Parts: sequence; structure tokens; C-alpha cells
Amino acid sequence: MAHNFRTDLWVDWCPGCGDFGILAALQQSLAELGKKPEDYVVLSGIGCSAKTPHYINAAGMHTLHGRVIPFATGVKLANPNLTVIVDGGDGDLLSIGAGHFVAAGRRNTDMTIIIHNNGVYGLTKGQASPTLPRGTKTKGLQRPNILDSLNPVALALSVGYTFVARAFSFDVKQTKEIIMKGIKHRGTAVIDLLQPCPTYNEINTKEYYEERVYYMDKDASWDPAVREATSEEAENKYLQAIKRSLEWDDKIPLGIFYQNELVPSFGERINGYIPSYFEDVPSKSPICDAEGNPLVRMEKIFSDRLIKK
Amino acid sequence: MVGMSLVDIDLIIGGPQGGGIDSAAQVVIRSFSIAGYETYGIREYHSNIKGRHSYFHVRIKDEQVRSLRYPVDLLVCLDYETPFVHIDDVAKGTIVLYDEDLKGTKIEQVLTMEPETKKHITERLKRDNLETTLSGAIEYMKRKGAVPFPVSFRDLVVKALGPNKPPSRYANTLGASMAMALVGLPPEFTMSGIASVFGKKKEVLEDNEKIVNGGYEFVKTKNGMGTKQLKVLETKERYIITGNEAVAIGKVVGGLKLQTYYPITPAADESFFLEGHDYFEEGNVSSISEENEVLKKTGVVIVQAEDEISAIAMAISGAMTGARTATGTSGPGFSLMAEAIGYAGINEIPVVITLYQRGGPSTGLPTRNSQADLLFAIYAGHGEFVKIVYSSGDVDEAIQDAVKVFNYAEKFQVPVIHILDKNLANSFYVIDQLDYSKMKIERWLKTAEEGDADRFKLTSDGVSPMAFFGKNIIWLTGDEHNETGHITEDPETRDEMLEKRMKKVNLILKTIPEDEQVQVFGDDNPQVTLLSWGSNKGVILDALDQLRKEGIRGNLVYVKLMNPFPSGLVSKYLSGSKLIINLENNYTGQLALLVRQNCGIKIENSILKYNGRHPTQDEVYRSIKKIINNEEKTVVMTSGA
Repeated sequence: MAHNFRTDLWVDWCPGCGDFGILAALQQSLAELGKKPEDYVVLSGIGCSAKTPHYINAAGMHTLHGRVIPFATGVKLANPNLTVIVDGGDGDLLSIGAGHFVAAGRRNTDMTIIIHNNGVYGLTKGQASPTLPRGTKTKGLQRPNILDSLNPVALALSVGYTFVARAFSFDVKQTKEIIMKGIKHRGTAVIDLLQPCPTYNEINTKEYYEERVYYMDKDASWDPAVREATSEEAENKYLQAIKRSLEWDDKIPLGIFYQNELVPSFGERINGYIPSYFEDVPSKSPICDAEGNPLVRMEKIFSDRLIKK
Repeated sequence: MVGMSLVDIDLIIGGPQGGGIDSAAQVVIRSFSIAGYETYGIREYHSNIKGRHSYFHVRIKDEQVRSLRYPVDLLVCLDYETPFVHIDDVAKGTIVLYDEDLKGTKIEQVLTMEPETKKHITERLKRDNLETTLSGAIEYMKRKGAVPFPVSFRDLVVKALGPNKPPSRYANTLGASMAMALVGLPPEFTMSGIASVFGKKKEVLEDNEKIVNGGYEFVKTKNGMGTKQLKVLETKERYIITGNEAVAIGKVVGGLKLQTYYPITPAADESFFLEGHDYFEEGNVSSISEENEVLKKTGVVIVQAEDEISAIAMAISGAMTGARTATGTSGPGFSLMAEAIGYAGINEIPVVITLYQRGGPSTGLPTRNSQADLLFAIYAGHGEFVKIVYSSGDVDEAIQDAVKVFNYAEKFQVPVIHILDKNLANSFYVIDQLDYSKMKIERWLKTAEEGDADRFKLTSDGVSPMAFFGKNIIWLTGDEHNETGHITEDPETRDEMLEKRMKKVNLILKTIPEDEQVQVFGDDNPQVTLLSWGSNKGVILDALDQLRKEGIRGNLVYVKLMNPFPSGLVSKYLSGSKLIINLENNYTGQLALLVRQNCGIKIENSILKYNGRHPTQDEVYRSIKKIINNEEKTVVMTSGA
């Protein structure tokens, strides 16, 4: 029987939670991609979404609040052959972890980041997250939110992400398609995943989104991919993505906003100065012989420190 | 043999930051090393790029040198600030080389000097009814018996290179070469030293060679100066490295595959050095065996992260993927890492954190020495978990320990903090070829079969078979977990898991050889026992040698494994002592607190230093004498500019 990537744990999210759709889409993606379960590492931060790795039958790392991106980067750096997937909440990735989110765009490590975007901090009972608009009063709040929301798609575009998409967790089939495209993308893929919180966000509900979402690629002329290395093409694709990212209130675009595989991944950049990097991956590289003698000798490497007569 | 030294010279070269003090230091150390002498030097500098006072203090001997000493034998002042700042570092016979063109400089004109320092020096000059000018400072030192040696840097540079070269650019080599001429190092060694530092740039090298000749010539013209000639000693191939570089070399030989960091003083130099030495091809790497010819080239991935939180997080997951992984930092960065260290604790992750202490709290004294982070390192992270804190005190230890800490991390599956300080990090050392037999690599005690594995399997010694990303299907979580790594709040499982992790305390203390935990140096039946750790080792041993000449027997109980604390060994080594003195570079005596907590021994006497400067042999010696003579129980050392 094919590996279905399900664990036998009871999934402890609230009934109706948008996270179920993301979990299903992710499990199906991993199965369809056909790698062995030990070749995937699924990482998460803290919060409701952070339980995700425990429910997936592949290696999982449930990390610290806000720090999931650096943890994921470390896995990929040490073994670039692994497929690395990040699940984080909007608070996790865009508030406490915002610095890491920005830095990840600049690195373009080959991995996929899924933002579980529901506008609230669910696990601490519904405080406002960075994607909740100013003036909104969801039921967990004492008073309307006094902070402006940020736009995850526009932020991702502005800091250099090379694959930026949005999906809606109640459309599992399309979500799976977008996740798979993200995983196949060479570089960092970020997916703003609209994920209603049925318990604390009574505004951005399943129905709210169903009335507004549309797929950008329904229009056959929509082409988010940069295909030529000319600056003009890259600029046009970037500007059309930014413009589309500003749509929200009446019409919420789904699908791929922007994709550029011409930008070298972080691994390729490292391989530029360590040409053995992809063959002699750090996690597998031998360091000593059977007696424990080190394999690397200092004399030539550090010859610039030799005192010569 | 101890105490038979014929040559023993302390030299300070001072000047503005960015004025080539580091190059001058390199020239001095390389020149004397080529002539076969032993050297040890420390850089002191402000948190500043250009302009503020920095200096290099070096001691040169014909036998092992482990510490510095005041007063110095030679003070070379490359600018007008140095004579003021080092006014009390001289004594009878000290040669003070200074720029006579600057002698009218008033102290208030020295804009780079901090107002507090100005005030202190002005008070001293006024107390002696001296002008608050550079001439006044020279006169102050002359009254202490120092010998002024005025030089016009401008004239000498013009004479050597013509009028079109800026004198300030050559002041460093000119000062250094005159210093070496004054102590009698034959000029060919200074030339070799110059070539060894500037060899790659032909024009720079030629100019500097002319400067050296000019410097030596000038010293010869001065009556009675530069007439002695130092003996040339036997020598062999050696390397000049800093403490930062020693750790880097140890890590690379020890199998480092991934190092992460965020720039911070005084740790960043280690990673910066590694970035320049991160890819090795055939000739630098030996292949594992004839059957395995794979490893003909390899590398170390060095990553500058966006902050220290990211640096430690990347390092932790890199280690879980099976690579030898480390990060390096200093106080403020280490504070940011505390939460993730707890994550490495509960998940039993073999990650190494190299911690270079500097003056705190907060930004504190960013470029100065301290040992005030010992207790913080031991207790960093909330909750209870096992971590190893391991200390190195000199360059040989730093190299070998950089391998050992990886071995400890992997064997016991715990985070290890390798604790050092700025004094060690920024000192210059000359080392021989590495002794690879002291750098054996030991990895995990047991590893899991491929595929599904219980990452946290309960075992009698607390160590589970190591499992990795890329090889096993495992789960990690910062929550309390069951054997598989899934979250649990079940009270019985919580007890089992916490007790499993804590079992490693005994395993560590039982497994690490005793002499890697605590070392004792010096005499049997000592009249005085010094207790210390880290970079104080050398200066204490030199001070004990000095006391021995007076017939006072002393020893040093030197702790390396700071956590878990080797209570039994420390108690045993301290038990026979009549007089115990704790010596540390902090205010609270943190090692003495650990001894009291773990061994129940209250140490009544302490010698402390917390002004950010390195302890010197003379003040350690004087402080021990004060305690032996019952004059004081706590001595605070205050030397250093």
C-alpha cells in the first residue's frame, strides 16, 4: 500500500478548522510527489498550525515560536537533498518571526513556506494577528484591533521571494496543486493559505472567502512566470504581481502571483564557493577514519598563518 | 627550565585604531619568532573603527611565555595619545619612544581621549606640578626613571621614502622596527618579519623595507642605544594565530561541516576567518581508505544569519541532520540564544555554541575581557535540562577542546557551550604543527537503524540511539514528548522523560576522563592553592613560578568542565589546601560560588578583576602576596589602559 503520510494521532483542531484542509492537501502532495517519507522534513513554529508535523507520517520538527524558518534553513543547509516544508501561522511567520520571513526572501533557500493565515492567535484564545485589519473586532478581542494589517503577498514580493502564491484551504484540490508547484519550485516558495478560524474569527469565515475568491489563472492570459533574464520582463511580472496583491475586499485572487526560477537558490550560491557542496553534502560528509583520526589537515589550508623565514 | 630566562621583554605599541597596530603586532611577533623567540601578545582596542586609542602588549622570552607584565620595558608611542594613556605603565629603565614633533600637544587637544581618562591623567600631572602636555607626560615618566627616546617620525619617513608618502601610514612599521632595533634584534629578522606580513604587495614591501633600514640606522646614531645584539635561537616551522583562529582550526580538523553566526565582537573573527578557509581540495584532505576515495575535496558551510536566534536555530537543525554544526557568539548574542538552547536540551541535540565572553551586562565593554558569563552559560534556558559547559584557557587547549566539545555533544546528545573570553580570542599565539593524536574524533555511542525510529527511546544511561533527518522518520517538539517524539502531558511519561535526560549528568561525569574535567598544576604540599578557570591559567602559573623563587610552594586547581560540575574531583583537590584563593575576571567570584554550591567549600580569599583588562603577572603575584601576608582577603586588580 502506498504511504499515505497519515499518523494515527487524533487531530486536535476545532471542528471546522481550516487547518484540516491544509493537512489533507499537504499529505496528498507528499504522496503524489512520490519521495520516501524520510526524504521530507516538515517543520512548524508554535500555535494551532504547529501541530501539523505530528499529523504527517514523515520526519517532523515542531520548533519555537517565530523561528521555524531558520530551523528549516538549517536542515536544508546540512542536507540539500531533503525536501523541506514549513508550516507557520500568520502570527508566527509575520509578527514574532517577521525578521526571519524577510531574511528568507533574500536567501531563496529551496523550500516551501505555508502561511496558515486566519487573522488571529488561536491557541492563546483569539488575539489579533498581523493579518487582521485595523478596526476589526473579532470575538476574542476586548476592543477593535488598533494595528494596521500587513499584506503577506506584497511583503513576500518586496523581499525577494521567487514563488508567491495564495490558496484557500477549503478548496483542497487546488490547494494541493499549488503546494505541489511550490515544492517543485527551485527556491523559496511562499503560499499565503487562507485558513478560517471557526472559533475566534467570525468575520473571515469559510463563507466570507467563498463569496470573494477567484483563481487568477481562470484568465488564460495570466502568466506569473519570469522566463527571460531580461530586467524588463522581470520588472513587468513583478509589477503585475504587486498590483494583483492589492486586491482584497471584493475579489480575493488565488493562485500564483509571481514565479522566477532564474534567481539562484541559496544552495546554488553556496555551491559557487564550495564546488563539492551538492555531492559531498555536509550531513553525509565523512570526517574521520575508523580509528577516529581527522581527515582534514590544517597545514595547507592555513598556510597563510605560517611564519616563513 | 623555569626561571632561567635571559631575555624577558615587555613591549607596548600604542596608536590610533586604524593606524596599523595589528600589522605592527604581526611584524613584531613574526620577526621574533623567526629568530626563535617565544612571544605572547594581547590587543586592546575600543569599540570603534578609526581614531580611538588601541595598543598591542607583547612579551618576548627565550622560554615559554604565558602572561604579560607591567611595567613594560619599551613603550612605543605612534601618536600623541599613547604617552598620556600609558603614563603609569613605565618604571626605571623603560624606553619611551615618542614623536618629538608632537611634544607641545596639550591633553585637551587629544580629542580621541575619553573625558574621564583625560581627567584622571590631568590630575596626576597636576599633582606632580607638570604641564598637561605631551612633554609633561614624558617628564612624568622620566621622574619614574624612564628613558625618553624622541624621534621625528616625519623626518625619518621623508628621509626613507621622500616627501610624497604620508608619515602616518608608516608610523607603525617605523615604530616597530625601532623597538626591535632598541632591544637588539638583528635587522635581518625584522626584514623577514616585514616580508612575512607585507610579502604579497611588492611596493608596500619595498617601502617598508626602507622604513626598517631607516629605523635601525636612526637607533644606531643614538649614543648607547641599539648596541646590544640578541642571540639567535633555534627555530622550527610555526604558525601565528589568534585564539579565535585556534578554535576555527580545531573545529575544521574536528569535522565542522556547518557554522552559523551573526556578527559580534569578539566572536565574529572566528567565522570571518573560516569564510576565508572553507573549501579544501586534495592535499588538504586525506581520503578515508583505499576503498573510499570519495573525500578528495570537501568544505565547511559558513552562514551569516539574520540574527543570533536564527544562527542557533540553523545550527540545531543542522546538527539533527547529522552534520557537525556549531555557532559562535558573545554575551548579547548568547542572551538571544537562550530559548533555543532549551530546545536543544529537551530534544537532546548535539550542537556546539562557542561563547566568547566580553564585559557585560548589556553592551557593556564590547571589546574588553570578562569572565562574568559563567553562571549565565550554565543556567541559560528555562526549565531543567543537561548541557555541558566546557572552558579553554590557552591556545593549545582551544584547538584540542574544539574537537572535544563536538565529541561530548555527539556522545551524550546534549548541547555544549564552549566558553572562552576576549583575552584568549584576541591574543596572538605562535603554535607548532598540530599533534593530531590529541585530536581524535568520537561520535555517537549508538545510532538507530534507517527508517522509523524512537528518537527518545528510554535507556538505562539516558542516551537514546541517535536518529537523523534524512535517515529516519522521527519527530521533535519543544513540548514534553513520548519516546516517538509526539507531544504528551501525561504525568508519568513526563517523569520518565525528564529523569532520562537528567541521567546524563552521571554519565558525563563518569565518562569524561578526570584530567579533562579538572587539572592541577604546581607543587605538592602547597602553602597556597589558586582556584581558577579559563585564560587566567598562564598568568597564575607565571606568578606561582615567581613565588617559587622565594621559596613559596603553590599550586593551581584549574577547572575545565564547568557543568555538570565535577564536585568530587574539585573537593578532593582542594581538601589538603591550607590557603585557597579564587581568582577570576568578574565581581562575584562565580567559580567560588559554584564550589560552595556543589562542594560545600567556602573559599574565603579572592583575587578579582573586572575593569575589562587582562590580569598581568606582576599584579597576580602582588595580590597573592597580600593574601598570604594576611593584609587583605579580597584583592581587586586594576592594571591596564
